[in-house]
Amino acid sequence: MNRREFLRRSALGAAGATVTLEQLLSAQGGPGFRLVDVTRSAGITFRHNNGAYGGKFLPETLGSGCAFLDYDADGWQDILLINGMDWPGHRRQRSTLALYRNNRNGTFTDVTKAAGLDIEMYGMGVAVGDFDNDGFPDLYITCVGQSRLFRNTGKGTFVDVTAAAGLGKREAFSTSAMWVDIDRDGRLDLFVCNYVRWSPDRDVFCSLDGRQKSYCTPEAYRGETCWLFRNRGNGTFEDITATCGIFDSGSKALGVALLDDDQDGWPDIFVANDTEPNKLYRNLKNGRFREVGLAAGIALSADGKARAGMGVDVADIDNSGRPVIAVTNFEGEMVGLYRAEQAGRFRDVALASGVGQPSKNRLGFGCVFADLDLDGDVDLIVANGHIDDTVRNIPGNVGYAQPPHLFLNDRGAFRDVAAQAGGGFEQPRVGRGLAVADIDNDGDLDILLTTNNGPAVLFRNDRQSANQSVRFKLTGTVSNRDAIGATVRITHGGITQSRMVRGGSSYLSQSELPVTFGVGHRDVVERAVVSWPNGRVEEFRNLATGKRYDVVEGKGLVNR
Amino acid sequence: MRRTPTATLLLGLIVTLATVLAYSWYISRQITGLRQLQTDLTDRNRRDSLLLLRIQGDLNQIALAMRDMLDPDETYPIQAWSAQFDRIRADLDDALAQQEAVTVARRTPEQARFLASSVAQFWDASARIFELAAGGHADEARSQVRLSLQPRQAALSTAVARFLVQNNESEAQTAEQVQQIYATVQRQVRWFLFATLAAIVGTGVFLIRSSQRLFSELASLSDQRRELAQQLIGARESTLREIARELHDEFGQILTAIGSMLGRAARQAPDGSSLRQDLREIAEVSQDALDNVRGLSQSLHPSILEELGLGSTVDWYMTTVERQLGLVVDYERSADLPPLDENVSIHVYRILQEALSNVARHSGVHDAAVRLFWDDGQLTLTVQDRGRGLAVDGGRRGLGLVTMRERAALVHGALELVSPPGGGTLVRLTIPVQGPVAA
Repeated sequence: MNRREFLRRSALGAAGATVTLEQLLSAQGGPGFRLVDVTRSAGITFRHNNGAYGGKFLPETLGSGCAFLDYDADGWQDILLINGMDWPGHRRQRSTLALYRNNRNGTFTDVTKAAGLDIEMYGMGVAVGDFDNDGFPDLYITCVGQSRLFRNTGKGTFVDVTAAAGLGKREAFSTSAMWVDIDRDGRLDLFVCNYVRWSPDRDVFCSLDGRQKSYCTPEAYRGETCWLFRNRGNGTFEDITATCGIFDSGSKALGVALLDDDQDGWPDIFVANDTEPNKLYRNLKNGRFREVGLAAGIALSADGKARAGMGVDVADIDNSGRPVIAVTNFEGEMVGLYRAEQAGRFRDVALASGVGQPSKNRLGFGCVFADLDLDGDVDLIVANGHIDDTVRNIPGNVGYAQPPHLFLNDRGAFRDVAAQAGGGFEQPRVGRGLAVADIDNDGDLDILLTTNNGPAVLFRNDRQSANQSVRFKLTGTVSNRDAIGATVRITHGGITQSRMVRGGSSYLSQSELPVTFGVGHRDVVERAVVSWPNGRVEEFRNLATGKRYDVVEGKGLVNR
Repeated sequence: MRRTPTATLLLGLIVTLATVLAYSWYISRQITGLRQLQTDLTDRNRRDSLLLLRIQGDLNQIALAMRDMLDPDETYPIQAWSAQFDRIRADLDDALAQQEAVTVARRTPEQARFLASSVAQFWDASARIFELAAGGHADEARSQVRLSLQPRQAALSTAVARFLVQNNESEAQTAEQVQQIYATVQRQVRWFLFATLAAIVGTGVFLIRSSQRLFSELASLSDQRRELAQQLIGARESTLREIARELHDEFGQILTAIGSMLGRAARQAPDGSSLRQDLREIAEVSQDALDNVRGLSQSLHPSILEELGLGSTVDWYMTTVERQLGLVVDYERSADLPPLDENVSIHVYRILQEALSNVARHSGVHDAAVRLFWDDGQLTLTVQDRGRGLAVDGGRRGLGLVTMRERAALVHGALELVSPPGGGTLVRLTIPVQGPVAA
């Protein structure tokens, strides 16, 4: 089709023009949407500081995460960016985490100081969850050293309650974290990943040439167990790590995700480990877990090797109701895509699905499943970037900065459309954290990506098709207020899609809690079923698409 | 009775087939043996080694866990490792059970018992330590880790390492055994190939020699048959010539004399008497008999062949063909035929007779063309008809044709029977003949 024909058909009447345009884009192999880099126009000026001064400390390689949260509960997603800081004795600048309030007009305002988050810490990741069920999301910031719990006062500010909550006096190299109600008591518990036993005074000298120090691989350090804190419901937490079955002093965890792999309605936990087998902790429904990673087939690669697990996300990508787990790995190891062949038994289908080969020569970190083109098939976004900036000196290497992946899912077959997504999305970056949310409430998902020792980038998703979405924001009453662990299933045209409300996932980051379904051209969803974390099930019929529904446990749809 | 090579060849074939079958069976047994060896020893050995490595990995994890348990900076109590130990134990027990099933018989029962009892003692000791720790005796528990658990883990690790070394040695021995079997089979294959090659060469030589003998005998038989045929033809011609001469000379003269005497007797009888009339009639009968005897003599062996040569004989014969065979012949010949040996001429004449006789009997037509030419040192006789042709009689060739060929061979000539494009049959006789010397 020539340019004149394209323009002529694009200029057709309003009723038919959209479909024609979509057909044209599809015919031209376009993804059906366009990403626009709105970082500058949105007012996001954040720049990550990893404190690198030449000491080649391991945390400098890992970057930090980001989160979408509605901290002021106004229905618009705000942005939190985690930051590192200069190392003691090498202070050059002040760097803090950054909170950006959504101005509801495409711009954001930096409210870090006003929110009381103008604090220096060597931050790594973030978990957002309303642990006190007051309607305002609280923050757990993982750090190198002491991680922090910030309670949201509901008045636009946060208060550090780490010590009061019983989470103080814990120095570690913490990475990803996740809020999850493991015992279904309606209160969010906290799972924290720890990487290795590292501190500046435990640093090991590693070198490629025997003279100059270089970054060590995790094998140089001892592992550290992940932590699980049970929410007592009185603002304090109990460390049940040693008794709940997740204690593992050899673990080198970087990513964590919530799933229900055995479909029993109780939350299970997946942990991505770096150079150690991944772990799958199955909930025994009594406050304890049993590790079943090896038997479930997710511990190792298809050839039996423990890979460098970084980020992780879980989704029902084939509308089977069963979870598929994506795990990003080191360069040469490709992304792992574990599909449940039967409940609790997984097989790595990365190569067969088209995700494996393109990701083989990239070093992946953040990864998020999201239906970006709203066609009903969940797509996969992967942030890439090497850990060592000297890699650029190695001939033939893919480089320190690497292009991210945007795998568009077409009925189980993935193709990387990063280069066609627009907005400079395909530019090589030292990508780390990754999260998605609908920042402009237009029904599609926008992307936030952090880079190591660099800026964060915000991409707005501009739909170029007539595809519609339907979104659900769940509020628990008996279950935890954020409804983390709830599953929404919608049925339209004989297809049933499912989404779980998740904290954690990706790498050091957290996406928004509302769930988004792409439904293509459908105007109505025939059936929507919400399975709340405490086991209650609610069903709704004939919901118009193109809307966001607020569902309150026991009260149904409050904004129909 | 002549001996044929069939029996010998059949015997050779049976021996060869038996050898191939026996060797196939032998090779099959060797391969089965190798497979069994690999399954029983090599594969089991490798699976055993992999499981031992898995066991070693679990023991290393235990060692690392114990190191962490004893770390003075560790914030978690010793019993926190209980679940980690349980996980490792589950994997270790599974690996040990599998390893026991695949382990190669070379391991002694004492070794197997040592491993099983050491593992059991290790878990008993660890359970006691976790109980101690749970009972608030953390320091004693740590001390027990140091004094009891770590040495047991080290002993187990050493035992597993020793098993791995044993497996390596066993694998090397098996590899050597396999190499020996391969070498034996290779040697056997060489011998078999050599034997097969020798058998093939022997059979080939035998076949060639048998064939040579057969061909030689066939050639001799053919020569004998030809000689016999030629002798028969020669004898026949000689007999015919004698009979013809006898008829002409003896009976001819007698009949001529009878005729003369009857003529004289008739002239002496009174005119008009019945005696004179009777004598004249007897004289006419005698003359007819004389003519018939002369004609028979000519047909048996034309005496004019010797007197006037082939050309004139054929000219004369052509005048009799219509009467004798009922054929109208279109006849042409070279005027300057060279003088031919009588032995050559009689065979050419007989071939001509036989060819025309065949036309009369088989062609279904009543005309033929005869050409007799001499040209360039070669005499050519052709007899052609437009009749049914060669294929009509099914290709059967009677004695006449065989005799024609033999006669042609006797005069060093060549006889061809061809089917010309227009149909019918063409008989062509060519004989190399030395022509008259030019004046």
